Amino acid sequence: MSGAVDPTLPLPARRRNPRRRATRHGVVALALLGAVLLAAPLLPEGALSIDRAARALPPDPAHPIGTDMLGRDIAARTLAALAKSVQVGLLAAGASTLVAVVLGLAATFGRAADHVVGVLTELALGLPHFVLLIMIAFAMGGGTTGVVVAVALTHWPRLSRIMRHEAQGIATSDYVAISRALGRSRLWVARHHLAPHLVPQIIAGFIVIFPHAILHEAGLSFIGLGIEPHLPSIGVMMSESLREIMAGHWWVAAAPGLGLMLIALAFERFGEALRQLSGPPGATT
Amino acid sequence: MLRPLSTAVVALSLLLPAQSEARSLVLAIGGEPDGGFDPVMGWGHYGNPLFQSTLLRYDAELNLVGDLATDWSLSDDGLVWRLSLREDAMFSDGTPLTAEDVAFTYTAASEAGGLADLTVLSEARALDNATVELQLSEPRITFVSRLATLGIVPAASYDEGYARQPVGSGPFQMVEWREGEQLVVEPNPHWHGGEIAFERVSFVFGSEEAGQALARTGAADLVGVPPSMADAAPPGMKVLHVETVDNRGLAFPMRPRAGETTEAGTPIGNDVTADRAIRVAINQALDRGALVALALNGHGRPAFGPADGLPWDNPEAAIPGNDPAAAMATLEAAGWTDSDGDGIREKEGLKAAFQVLYPASDSTRQALALGASEQLREIGIDAQPTGSSWDEIGALMHSQVVVLGWGAHDPSEIYYLHHGDYAGVDYYNTGHYAKPAVDAHLDAAEAATGFDESLAEWQAAAWDGETGFGPKGDATWAWMVNLEHAYWVSSCLDVGPLQIHPHGHGFPITHDLPSWRWTCE
Amino acid sequence: MSAWLPALLAGRMIRLGWLLPLAAAGLFALISLAPIDPVQAYVGGRTSQIGPEQRDAIAAAWGLDRPAAERFASWLGQLARGDLGQSITFNAPVMQVIAARLPASMALVGLAFALSFVLGTLLGLAAGATRGRWPDRVIRTIAVVLAASPGFWVAILLVAVFAVGLGWLPACCATPPGQLASEVTPADSLRHMVLPVATLSVVGIAPLVLHTRQSLIAFLDSPAARHLSAHGASPLRLAFGPGLRHAAGVALTLHLASAGELFGGSVLAETVFAWPGLGQATVRAATGADAPLLMGIGLATLLFVFAGNLLADIAARLADPRLRRVA
Repeated sequence: MSGAVDPTLPLPARRRNPRRRATRHGVVALALLGAVLLAAPLLPEGALSIDRAARALPPDPAHPIGTDMLGRDIAARTLAALAKSVQVGLLAAGASTLVAVVLGLAATFGRAADHVVGVLTELALGLPHFVLLIMIAFAMGGGTTGVVVAVALTHWPRLSRIMRHEAQGIATSDYVAISRALGRSRLWVARHHLAPHLVPQIIAGFIVIFPHAILHEAGLSFIGLGIEPHLPSIGVMMSESLREIMAGHWWVAAAPGLGLMLIALAFERFGEALRQLSGPPGATT
Repeated sequence: MLRPLSTAVVALSLLLPAQSEARSLVLAIGGEPDGGFDPVMGWGHYGNPLFQSTLLRYDAELNLVGDLATDWSLSDDGLVWRLSLREDAMFSDGTPLTAEDVAFTYTAASEAGGLADLTVLSEARALDNATVELQLSEPRITFVSRLATLGIVPAASYDEGYARQPVGSGPFQMVEWREGEQLVVEPNPHWHGGEIAFERVSFVFGSEEAGQALARTGAADLVGVPPSMADAAPPGMKVLHVETVDNRGLAFPMRPRAGETTEAGTPIGNDVTADRAIRVAINQALDRGALVALALNGHGRPAFGPADGLPWDNPEAAIPGNDPAAAMATLEAAGWTDSDGDGIREKEGLKAAFQVLYPASDSTRQALALGASEQLREIGIDAQPTGSSWDEIGALMHSQVVVLGWGAHDPSEIYYLHHGDYAGVDYYNTGHYAKPAVDAHLDAAEAATGFDESLAEWQAAAWDGETGFGPKGDATWAWMVNLEHAYWVSSCLDVGPLQIHPHGHGFPITHDLPSWRWTCE
Repeated sequence: MSAWLPALLAGRMIRLGWLLPLAAAGLFALISLAPIDPVQAYVGGRTSQIGPEQRDAIAAAWGLDRPAAERFASWLGQLARGDLGQSITFNAPVMQVIAARLPASMALVGLAFALSFVLGTLLGLAAGATRGRWPDRVIRTIAVVLAASPGFWVAILLVAVFAVGLGWLPACCATPPGQLASEVTPADSLRHMVLPVATLSVVGIAPLVLHTRQSLIAFLDSPAARHLSAHGASPLRLAFGPGLRHAAGVALTLHLASAGELFGGSVLAETVFAWPGLGQATVRAATGADAPLLMGIGLATLLFVFAGNLLADIAARLADPRLRRVA
C-alpha cells in the first residue's frame, strides 16, 4: 500500500526504445486484464459453491490451488474475486480520473478557482491516504459504492496537477494566441489544441491510478469497509484466510494475493512506461 | 510446502518461558468490552460481570437463585420488587455492600443511556442497610433479567474512571487491563462465594485467529473456535460443544400482500406465506435432524421453537416434522395442488413459491437455506434460496422468508418477536404478526406477579390449546436448528456442568468460572 | 543558518491555522453523511435486550437528537478547548483513547521508519553503484514487486512462514499471554515486534530504493564524480562515500514526507497482528460508527502528516542550502 513508485532513470535509448517498451508493458497488462475479465464469466456453475466433502484440501489435480475451510475451490474463487476487484478498480480509477480532470481544468479558470483547487489538494493530502479512504468509505456506509467513491476522492491530486500544468502551458502558448487572434472559438481551440495534448496524459493518468485503486480496494475490503462480504473479492478472501493460515493452510492466502499483485505490477509498469513516454516526469509533479 | 505444524509447536514451546510456579489460566474467548467493565453502561449482560455480583443469578438449569439477595418478592400489582440483601457481601476494596449501593446502581443505570435497559424502572430506594425496593412504572416480569445481570457498583467510589478500574463484590478483581490486548484478573479475597482454584486468570483479546495461534502453541487453556474449525483441536486440548438457544429459523411474512409498505417504502406481506397451511406444512415437512447434519456437521440440535429447553418454552406447541405425507395432506386440504405438473403446487393461479433470504457471508445460514429448499421441493413448495447482504435483507424481510437467528436467556425476546406492538420494528416481528389472543397472553406474562407464574403465560402464547404463535397455532416461524458453540479446552481443565448458552459465543462460557478446577498436577 | 528556520516555521504554522479548521469541518461533514445508525452499531448483538425506548435514551445521551449544525457548533466549541469529545465504542474521552493507543502504534511506525530508511537507502545505493548489472536488476525488481504487493498480504505471508511454518516468531499480539506488563521482558517485546515491523518496513521501502538509486546515478554522472573515478575510486566506494552524503538528504526528505503512509499501513498491519494500537482503534471506530473517535483520529493523523512534511522541509534545507532562500 505504498505511494507511487517514482521514475527510475530511463536506460540509454540505444538499449530501450521507450515507445516499444510502453507497448510491451501495455500488451502484458491489457492481456492480463482481458484474461481475468473474460475467464471469470466462463467459470462453470457451482464452481464457487460450498462443498463439504472437499474441505481444506491442499493443492491437488482436482483443485489446483486447493480449497478453503468450506470446501470452496480457491482457484475459481480467486478468478472471480480478481474479476470483481478489476471491475471495481476500473470504475474507481475512472471516477478518480474524471475528478482529476475536472479539478485540474477548473484550476485554470482564474486565481480564485486555482486557490480553491489548491486548498482541496492540501486537504486530500493532509491525511494518510488509507485513513482518508477509511473515513470516506465509512461516510458512504461501506460497500462497493463506498469503495468507488473513496478511491475516486483520494487519488486525484497527482493527475489534477498534471492537468493544470499542461492546460496552463497550452493556454499561454503562442499557437493558441494565434488561433484566438484568427477568430477561432474557445471550443475550437479546446478541441484542436487542448484535447490532443491532454488525452494521452489522461489515459496515462488513469493507468497510473488503476493499480493503486485495486490495492486500496482490497485493503478496505480486508478490514470490512469495502466490497460486501458475500461477493467474492480479494480483500474478503484474505481476511477469511487469516484464520486458516493459523491452521497451516497457506494456499488459501497465497493465490489471491499473488493474482492481485501481478495485475497491480503489470499496470504499474505500464503506467511507468507511459509516463516516461509522455515527457520528463520531474516537470509534471 | 511448509514444515509440519508439530515442529512449530515444539519450537515455539521451547522459546516460551515456563510458567509453572502458580496455576494461572489463559482464556482466548474474545468479547473484550471496548467500553470497559461498568455495569451501569451495560457490562455483564450475560449474567457474569466477573468483577461485580448481581442480586439474583441463573443456575445451570437456568433457575433463578439468590446471589446478593437472600430473599425477594414482587408486590401483588407487579410494580414493586423488595429484596433483602446478604450482610457479608464486600467490595474488593474491603468496604461493605449495602442497599444504598444497590439503589445507586439501579438509578444510575436507568439514567445513563447505556446498554442496560431499565426504562421501566421509576425509582430505586434503600429501606435500610439490607433492604432495597425497586419501583416499576408498569408491571414487567422480564425485569428479573436485569436483577440477574446488573452488577452492583459502590456508590461511594463510582466515578468516571470506574469502567477501567472496576471495584465490585464479584469473584474477581482487576490486576491489569491492556486494552485491545489482554485482561488479567485475580480472585477477590472478599468474595462471598467461596474458593477459586486459580491465582490468576488472563483473557487474551485481539482476534479469533490470535486465540487459535495461542492454542496451537499451548499458551491458552480455553479458546473459542468457529464450528468449521472445531474438530481440529491441537494436541493436549479437547473439543467442548456447548448446547445453546442460538437458533436459526425461517421467519414468515404473515400478512397478505395488500400494497402496504414500511416507512422506508419497502413492501409488506406475501400472499403465499400468509396462508397458514403453507407455514404449517413447512413445519411438518422439515427434517431438522438432516439440517443439523448438513449445516452444522452434526454439532447442534433440532429447533422447534424460539427457546427450546428454557423454562418459558412450550414443547406442546411444536410439530415434530420430517413427515412429508402429513405436509402434503395439509396442502391438499387447503387447496394447494400441482395442476400443471411442474412439481410446484398452485392455488387459484398462485404458485407456492417464495424467496428464502440469507446473508451470503454466513455459510451456516446458506447451508440451511439450501437444505430446507431441497426438502420443501419434495412437498411441492418452491423455496428459492437467495444470498444477499444485510441491507438487502432489511429491505425484503417484510415480504419474503428470511433465515434469522435469536436466542436469549430472557423471555422478553418472545414478546418482541410475536407481539403486535413490535410488528415491523427493527428485526423483531418482521412478519407483522398481530393476534389479539397471543398479545393478551404476552401482556399477561409481563404482568404476572412472579417469574414462575409468568411461565404459564409465555407458554400459552406459543400454544394455549386453541391458538398461539407456535407451529401448532399460527406457525409464525419454522425453527430449524440450535447451534452448538465450540471451544478448545485444555485436557486438564474441568469446567463443570454448563448452562444452555445464549446467542453470544465467548463470554457466556465464563458464567461458572469461579467453580472451574484444574485436574492435572 | 538561523534566519530560514523561523520563517519556515511561521509559514507552516499559518498553513496549519487554516488547514486544521477546514479539515475539522470537512471531517464533520463527511462523518455526518454516514448512513450507519450508530445506536444500532452500539447495540449490536444485544437487540433482544434493548427495547426501542432505551434506544432513544442512548441516542439522547449522545446528543444525536439535536440537529447537525448544533452538534457541530458544540463539537467545535469543545475542540477549541482541546476536548475531542467522548468515544462511543470505548466509553472514554477521545483524547484518552488516542493517548492510550498511540505509543503502541508509534513503536511500530518509528521502528519501521528507521529500518526502511536504512535498508532503502543502502539498497538504493547498491543498485545505483551496480547500474545495469544483476544486483541492480534484482534490487529494482524486488522494489517494484513490493510496491505492487498489498501490505496485508505480505503480513499474512510472513505469518504463514515465520510464525506458523517455522514457529520462530509469535503470530500476534504485542506481548506473551498471561503476563503482566511488568513481567514482559524486552526480549519478548522485541520478538513480538519483528513481523509487524518487517511488514511495515517492506511497505515503505520501494520509493526510497528507486529514488536513492536515481539520485546516486545523477551524482555518478556528475563531473565531480567522474573526476574521482578517473583517480581510481571504484563505483562502490564512490556510492557509499560521497554518494551516500549526496543521496542521504534527499532520501530522508522523501522518507519523512511519506511517513504518513506508514501510519496508513499500520492500520492493516495492526489488523493482521492484533496489535493494540491506534490502527486497531481506527477500524473499531469505523465499524462501530464511533464518529467522535474517527474525527479525533482524523485530526491526530493530520497533525502527524503535517509534522512529517515539516520535518521533510527542514531536512531538505539542511541538505541543500540553496533551498533556504525560498520559504
